[in-house]
Amino acid sequence: MDPILAEIYSTVLDAAPFVIAAYALLFLVLCGYVAYIMTKLKRTEKKLAALEEHLDESK
Amino acid sequence: MAKGNTAADPRVGGRLDALAPWALVVGALLATAGFVVNFTVAPLVNGAAVSEPALIGDVLVGNKLLLSQKIFYWHMPVAIASFAALVFTAYYSVRFLMTKRSCYDVRAKTATEIALVFVICTMVTGEMWTRFEWGVWWTWEPRLTTYFILMLMIFGYFILRNAVEDAERRAVYASVFGILVFVDVPICFLITRLIPSSVHPVIFRTDSGLSPEMMAPLMLSLVGFALVAFGLYRLRLRVQLMEDSLSRIQDKLED
Repeated sequence: MDPILAEIYSTVLDAAPFVIAAYALLFLVLCGYVAYIMTKLKRTEKKLAALEEHLDESK
Repeated sequence: MAKGNTAADPRVGGRLDALAPWALVVGALLATAGFVVNFTVAPLVNGAAVSEPALIGDVLVGNKLLLSQKIFYWHMPVAIASFAALVFTAYYSVRFLMTKRSCYDVRAKTATEIALVFVICTMVTGEMWTRFEWGVWWTWEPRLTTYFILMLMIFGYFILRNAVEDAERRAVYASVFGILVFVDVPICFLITRLIPSSVHPVIFRTDSGLSPEMMAPLMLSLVGFALVAFGLYRLRLRVQLMEDSLSRIQDKLED
């Protein structure tokens, strides 16, 4: 590779893992939060179904 | 005493909640479009000068090209989303203190939770940038320091909520603390104007130095993450209200 071009692009390859990590971590944090909300939703729905069942039995 | 739900309370399950999933989808698409435009259209910014300029394509390049700056196109929008969420924290906290309606406390708590998620996003992206550019994980630069304080205050908000058992006292303390957390937002936002720093340039000004090719991915991501934040907020709020209703029904049945 041309030495001048190598100098121009010298920081690009070194920075790539950090750029990828930044985008991946941001994506993971958001996905983690969505998973947290969905877990809570599923747990609440399960409790609601159990409550309905309990009410039906007690009638 | 904190009042329960009344007809005057903001509606849940209305038009805003119908829009929430769409906001999430459109927001994710816009943020993805911002990501794509960032890596395809926006040019790399210049770093230190090289010994001799070279012609790349039709452009004469005389500086090192910085890929690390690409982090900026998602870093800044998530930071703005965290500030916006804290504006809602303050608004609902004030509303709670004015009306003592618990619905506002729930909303303030949810908005703060969204702010925390986006603060963490801002911190992790910023950390990667800092680590590459300065070779350190942390530097006590004004914007970083004020934002770090903001993050600690948000942690403090949730610690405070968990520490107080009485629901009414918890809501009052959290509302006051929520307003205090918000006070750090303008400080954080304006600190680069008050104490100029090479690390965080002033972006919101008439001549930000960003070309249209750079502004396009930034704006796409900004609108995208604002919509994602709104969608997540409504989704989380619905789940929280469902949980609260369920525990109220369980309490009544036990009585």
